[in-house]
Amino acid sequence: MTAAGVALLFSAALSVAARAQATTGEGTMDLPPLAKECGEANASTMALPNSARALATTKKLKILAIGASSASILGGMREGNPPLLEQLLERTIAGLDVEIINRGVSGELAGDAAKRLKVEVALNQPDVVLWQVGTNDAFAQVPVEEFQETVGEMVRWLKEHNTDVILVGLHYMKNLVKDPHYQAMRASLQHIANTENVPRIGRYEAMEVLARTLRENGRRDPGEFGSSETAYDCMARYVARVIAVGLFAKAPKKPAGH
Amino acid sequence: MPRTPNAVDFWRGYALVSIFINHIPGIYYERFTHRNLSFSDSAELFVFLAGWSLGYLVGGSDAPKSTSRLMLRLGGRAFQIYAAQILISSIAIASLASAAFLLDNPLILEWHNAAAVFLDPALTHIGLVLLTHQLGYFDILPLYVVLMVVAAPLIALLYRFARPLLLPLSLAIYLAALIVPITVPTWPVPGQWFFNPFAWQVLFVLGFTLSRPDGVGDFVQRHIEVIRLIALPITVLGAIVVALSLFPDPTIFPEPKLLFLNGKTFLTPVRLLQFLALVAVVSVTYPYIARIVPWLVTFLSILGRNSLNVFCVASVLSLLGQIVRYLYSGSFGVDTGFVVVGIALLWLTAWVSEWRQQLAGG
Repeated sequence: MTAAGVALLFSAALSVAARAQATTGEGTMDLPPLAKECGEANASTMALPNSARALATTKKLKILAIGASSASILGGMREGNPPLLEQLLERTIAGLDVEIINRGVSGELAGDAAKRLKVEVALNQPDVVLWQVGTNDAFAQVPVEEFQETVGEMVRWLKEHNTDVILVGLHYMKNLVKDPHYQAMRASLQHIANTENVPRIGRYEAMEVLARTLRENGRRDPGEFGSSETAYDCMARYVARVIAVGLFAKAPKKPAGH
Repeated sequence: MPRTPNAVDFWRGYALVSIFINHIPGIYYERFTHRNLSFSDSAELFVFLAGWSLGYLVGGSDAPKSTSRLMLRLGGRAFQIYAAQILISSIAIASLASAAFLLDNPLILEWHNAAAVFLDPALTHIGLVLLTHQLGYFDILPLYVVLMVVAAPLIALLYRFARPLLLPLSLAIYLAALIVPITVPTWPVPGQWFFNPFAWQVLFVLGFTLSRPDGVGDFVQRHIEVIRLIALPITVLGAIVVALSLFPDPTIFPEPKLLFLNGKTFLTPVRLLQFLALVAVVSVTYPYIARIVPWLVTFLSILGRNSLNVFCVASVLSLLGQIVRYLYSGSFGVDTGFVVVGIALLWLTAWVSEWRQQLAGG
């Protein structure tokens, strides 16, 4: 099947996609629809307090995308067409003006991205950072402890600088299921997200669901050539949902003494 | 006959080996390159020495007397670099596709900013030819092409007809790029060039200016001892700040922030000044290196003399290195084997290049 064919089938699937709602202060909000094949792999309801503040005060949201292959989490990017993520968020939240700054560098390791991230935050003052991280470090055999320290430190720095962060996890690949280092990196990122209380898009889990669904329907899984567009579309929708929910979720109260 | 080993070729050879290693993220030997003790890295050295070499091309004893011939010569060199960029990008894309297919891992198609090549091939191929789409780690030659097409003729003309304007004009463009800021967009994937030509041209011009025996070049050569005394504490302080990660929080700086930040894309002043200080300090070591380890000077100089060919092979080898590390789960043994074989291949590339030149020369 050609990529265009996949896209066509995907659009058809969208029309039957389940609609989901999130509760906002002013009622309910329809979340960006997910195609059935994307599955419901991510259910983060964590608050994005800095982004919520930006929404309330300026109705603007500045998103900085960093990390390897950032285009894949924005739903693909082409000059002239706003990224799907931007379209989804502006459609979901009336009056919201979304600006996406893509500073992804393909192949970059977490350590180098972290150094650049500080500079990009200083220059662009984003409300939320989308950081796709881990896959390259796993492929480059970066020690898990080093990776955890680098990413954890950077997440803490972003929080200290009133910038929300959403971690986008490692890719899914059938033949990486039994790779111990790859799986350890996944666990490490999950641990950072839990410890630092920041949303993590379970890209691996999401793509696993997508692969299963596509296989069951006699289609190629997202790990095969030419079908990444479907995966990109799903990822943009996952991210849009996490942001939309995070904008209206209540932030947990800080424990006394913090 | 090839040039005898000299400091410029030696340091250029060093930069090439360093780029080869640094472009294999995570490799064990990455920790021994100078970027671990310096804001700047081998990219700065490469561009600076490219400017220095332009000095020979424009102002050397065998430089064409006629301006039109000089322009033709510069254009020819720019086209050679452009052709090299197109060739290595094509090989890189084919390597990624082959690795993805043979290793049954389509994620490899996303490495090095290559995803757009496979997902949106029509527009991305136009972008590759126009240099507005660059593969990750294959982004320094596009800068070099722009410098040779735009900056080099301007440098040559100003040097011949309005010499005092050259450095001030370059500095003014550099500062404007930082203050406005001015960037060069990428297409079809929106973004910006990793190496901003408006900023990096200043290093190219500085390399050129310092290579000349007149003006600033003459001043620096006459006062190099004093300059080294000033440069030494800057170099040491830079090394301490980098090694201990002591650089201040970038959000505290006032506008225009790019004047104070440490950023590679814009070659910010902190990187530029530290690089110039490093060059002033380290340049003193060449005569000692040549005396103590002459074989190393001979070895790196042959790489430096054939820098374009060696750079191309190094870029492709770095990509293969990443694939090999992924395949064999990168270990000290794999890294060592790859670096040794890789450097040997760089030498072979240089040797074959000179052998062909000698054959052509009869």
